[in-house]
Amino acid sequence: MKKYLLKRILLIVPTFIGITLITYLMVRLAPGDYTTLKAGLQGELRAGSVGMEILEQERKLYGLDKPIIVGYADWLGSFMVLDFGTSRKDGRPVSTRIADALPITLALNIITIIIVYIISIPVGIITSVKKDSAFDRVVSLVMFILYSLPAFWIGLLLLMYFSGGEYLNIFPLGGIMSDWAEEPGFWRKLLDIAWHLVLPVVTLTYGSFAFLSRYTRANMLEVINQQYITTARAKGLSEARVVFVHAFRNSLVPLVTLMATLLPGLLGGSVIVESIFSIPGMGMLAFESILARDIPVIMAIAAISALLTLVGILIADLMYALVDPRIRLESRI
Amino acid sequence: MSTGYWRSVIKEFSRNRLAVAGLVVVCLLFLVAIGAPLIANSKPYIYVSEGRVCFPVFHMPGDLRGKDLRKKEFTGFKLFPPIRYSYSEYDLDAIVLPPDSRHYFGTDEQGRDLAARMVYGTRVSILVGFIAVSIYVLIGIIIGAVAGYYGGIVDIIISRFIEIVMCFPTFFLILTILALVGPSLVSVMVVIGLTGWTSIARIVRGEFLKLREVDYVTASRALGARDYWIILRHILPNSLAPVLVSATFGIASTILIESSLSFLGFGVQPPTPSWGDILSQSRDFMDFAWWLTLIPGFAIFITITSYNLVGEGLQDSLDPKSVKKRV
Repeated sequence: MKKYLLKRILLIVPTFIGITLITYLMVRLAPGDYTTLKAGLQGELRAGSVGMEILEQERKLYGLDKPIIVGYADWLGSFMVLDFGTSRKDGRPVSTRIADALPITLALNIITIIIVYIISIPVGIITSVKKDSAFDRVVSLVMFILYSLPAFWIGLLLLMYFSGGEYLNIFPLGGIMSDWAEEPGFWRKLLDIAWHLVLPVVTLTYGSFAFLSRYTRANMLEVINQQYITTARAKGLSEARVVFVHAFRNSLVPLVTLMATLLPGLLGGSVIVESIFSIPGMGMLAFESILARDIPVIMAIAAISALLTLVGILIADLMYALVDPRIRLESRI
Repeated sequence: MSTGYWRSVIKEFSRNRLAVAGLVVVCLLFLVAIGAPLIANSKPYIYVSEGRVCFPVFHMPGDLRGKDLRKKEFTGFKLFPPIRYSYSEYDLDAIVLPPDSRHYFGTDEQGRDLAARMVYGTRVSILVGFIAVSIYVLIGIIIGAVAGYYGGIVDIIISRFIEIVMCFPTFFLILTILALVGPSLVSVMVVIGLTGWTSIARIVRGEFLKLREVDYVTASRALGARDYWIILRHILPNSLAPVLVSATFGIASTILIESSLSFLGFGVQPPTPSWGDILSQSRDFMDFAWWLTLIPGFAIFITITSYNLVGEGLQDSLDPKSVKKRV
């Protein structure tokens, strides 16, 4: 076990370097960089030699004059000591920009995941118990349709029909809280945020029901044919007890591992949903940084999400072995 | 792969009514994409006047060039396509009009006919779907085949590389590359193609690992067959079924990615109409112009659903085990 863990953790290192190096190469090798973009925007470039001099100075300031490999090594060195640099766009430290955006996305994603689990798991259990019934088929079809509905379309429709205009005016058009004239109380503030999050949460959740409920259903069906379920029934246990205690608990194994793979997705916001509802979360931050060629922010987000993905995969594998002792880790590399 | 196998696959597939319906929609979309100029065009198919017959859709006679044959002054027999507007033709006197008998789907903010733009938008979604998926299926097969067939150190290196690529958040990777190279129809197809191959490569690698040990491969090797022959002739054809399923689902998700990119302004550039782009423009008129939101979104939804249904049908019918089970 220890040997396996060590091996896996060591394997994270080359993968992490690979991912960040590729990202760095991409943003550096692309034609034009942050300084030319900025100069181009301000029309300074056409001024000739003076403009070029300023450009060179700026390139030096941002470390863009160094060879790519040195630039990457510098970046990696600072990342190791958790120094993410400063954003090119507004000069603020990357860490504060991420700290601003992260809680919003985190809240949105945690609420979404909780709702998805609360709805999908019971649906999965019921459809597995009533396999091939009319209910099972209708639910499968509904889930399938929900899964195929593009999120940006549903987001727009929700805004159109529920946020003013010629139709209902129940929810706000976007953002995460209202502009207050005076400082409101805690509960009023919380209520206001909740009110703003309703439509984004709906847009984020509905598409995930299909996957999780099908997953639960498939796992339940696998378990329900086992001999110990027949035994449980034979000794006269109630159907509810058989289903929820004997079957469901054993079908939890894959669900547990699924949780671990959610880790990276938790921090990465959805660009589409955040842009539709004007939510200043991680998705928007990443999108804006890409548009502005803001290398330090892009690199920080890429590195953090890569790290979380790798750790998530590791946790998933470990949990898999923990919940199911039949799985031997040493053979899985 | 005997003909018997494929016959049973077709039989099994045609039993699945939803999958067949999906296939019909996919075929219809193809026809619309190919025949777009015949469905939405400002020129008539046939124009007969003063003893002259011409076919303006295919060839506009010199003296009529630049003239609008829809006007009343052009008397004579005219046979128009179902939608009498071209996708780029704008009319600033008729902006953001709701659907009526002239504009079946209404008009957009430049007074362009939405129905015509929808018809042409089909081309973009089908083109991107098929070409991008073809690119990544090809890459996936090559990489997966090499890893699975040769195994050992080659496999370890390639698997590690696949893992690296899989750790990238795909949509951001695509956005980043497009921001750097500049969005266009070609770059969208190439970028999706270059980033989407990992799942295919993993499937092919798994199949190759399994199949390289089977008896007919050993027999072929014993007879002195070269690697390329064994790969192309014996292993590849037998590992294509799961690739086909994955590719079908891949087309659905590629169409979704393309429309999401266009929605963010990173897709096909104007004036080429794309469903996602139409949807994104609708945001400015969201408070009343329901047709601009409802219609393109519905088209994307129907297209994605159809491909997913076909994919599900294929998944069930290609698996010989599931066929046996039902007999």
